Amino acid sequence: MDFTKILHSLGENLLTPIPMCFAHGIFCKVIHGGIKIPKELYYTIAIFLLMSIGFIGGHELAKEVKEHGIATVWQPALVTLFLGCVTPVSAFLVLRYIGRMSVADSAGIAAHYGSTSAVTYAVADAFVAQLNHPANSYLPTLVTILECPGIAIALALGAVLSKTEHAASNGENGAGLEAEPKQEGKLWEALYEVITGQSIMLMAGLLVIGFVATNFMSEKGFAPFHDFFYSKGMIFRGALCIFLLEMGLVAGERLKDLLKVGPFLIAFGILLPLVHGFFGAWLGHMAGLNIGGCTVFAAIVSSASYIAAPPAVRLTLPDANPTYSITAALAITFPFNIAFGIPIYYQMAQMVGAT
Amino acid sequence: MQLHPLKLVTIVTEQILKDQITKKIIELGAAGVTWQEAQGTGSRGARRDAVGGGNVQIEVICPQAVAEAILTYVSHHYFENYACLAWVTDVSVVRGARYDRPA
Repeated sequence: MDFTKILHSLGENLLTPIPMCFAHGIFCKVIHGGIKIPKELYYTIAIFLLMSIGFIGGHELAKEVKEHGIATVWQPALVTLFLGCVTPVSAFLVLRYIGRMSVADSAGIAAHYGSTSAVTYAVADAFVAQLNHPANSYLPTLVTILECPGIAIALALGAVLSKTEHAASNGENGAGLEAEPKQEGKLWEALYEVITGQSIMLMAGLLVIGFVATNFMSEKGFAPFHDFFYSKGMIFRGALCIFLLEMGLVAGERLKDLLKVGPFLIAFGILLPLVHGFFGAWLGHMAGLNIGGCTVFAAIVSSASYIAAPPAVRLTLPDANPTYSITAALAITFPFNIAFGIPIYYQMAQMVGAT
Repeated sequence: MQLHPLKLVTIVTEQILKDQITKKIIELGAAGVTWQEAQGTGSRGARRDAVGGGNVQIEVICPQAVAEAILTYVSHHYFENYACLAWVTDVSVVRGARYDRPA
């Protein structure tokens, strides 16, 4: 990998409004500045971003399917599903056996890293678009595919293993504490919440709506909807700046938690995404993604969920400490990806031969 | 005016537990329940941002037996692993029969 190229690419990324807004949010929090984004605005923007990603994704998917059938789409979809199942397991193994964390904590953090972050997707997509290498049109479909399996697998792993752990310790103590009542029921409940949660409902729902509308509406009739949600990327990127400012404020608030989580988790939050990202770029390339697509795909594979995963983990694995998982996802991996990860994935995509 | 002595149970806990706790409160025999968003900081850290999920304050007016059942349930299920506080206050209400629900 050419080091100067990476540096150049890092600079090119860092000095754009989206990461700078994020950094400004952190800075503002650190100096106790006065920026305050109302919660309702934050939610409104989140809704718009998710709807927009879904709608435009569905529209582009419909165009792709019209031109090439599903031939170009099924391979990336399969790779996504595969990585969605592998990344929680690799994260769990590293946390449990290298980091020596408890089963619950390992599984809790693995659930975050097995899932994905839609905001990281949006930022990566904007990054490659700025470089004039727009990602393949069906990437939003891949984001929705990636969202669920990781959480499901990590939670199941955590529930099963902590049950055996409890059973073993109870056996040793001879005390028949009724430790985990209805663990499986809770697992299904949590998974149901993830699947029916806001991000999947909005993104997948609008993906279907965009897809169907593209197929059944005249181009002229469809145009206003497309204009609103796409708006030449204008509203989307502006909204993303506001959203990232708030994310910066939240991450800034959690900076002091970095001291609590220790050096292992900090290294984990940076190195694991790089490894996952590399496999994302490589397998993405094998599945036929273009260079923009490989970059964005690497970013979503490497990213950690901090919206869908936390409540699911909290309900299913109550003895996992949420400070670890949320700090790792939000204060380590997310900023790393926004500032450095995405340009590095771009270089990785070039390295594996994507064009 | 006729006032009736009853108990007010207040629970402050993580927002994600709201649905299961309120459902259980009704099951335990309370006639109704009120909740509102809450923010604060304490031994388990602060929950005030949208991303971390906030807190909720749940209030129930009920007879003593129901109040005790609610507190027992909450302390058994949530005190160990969740941010959760619960307390009881004596209150006097008008229309006392409203709060008596045949369990």
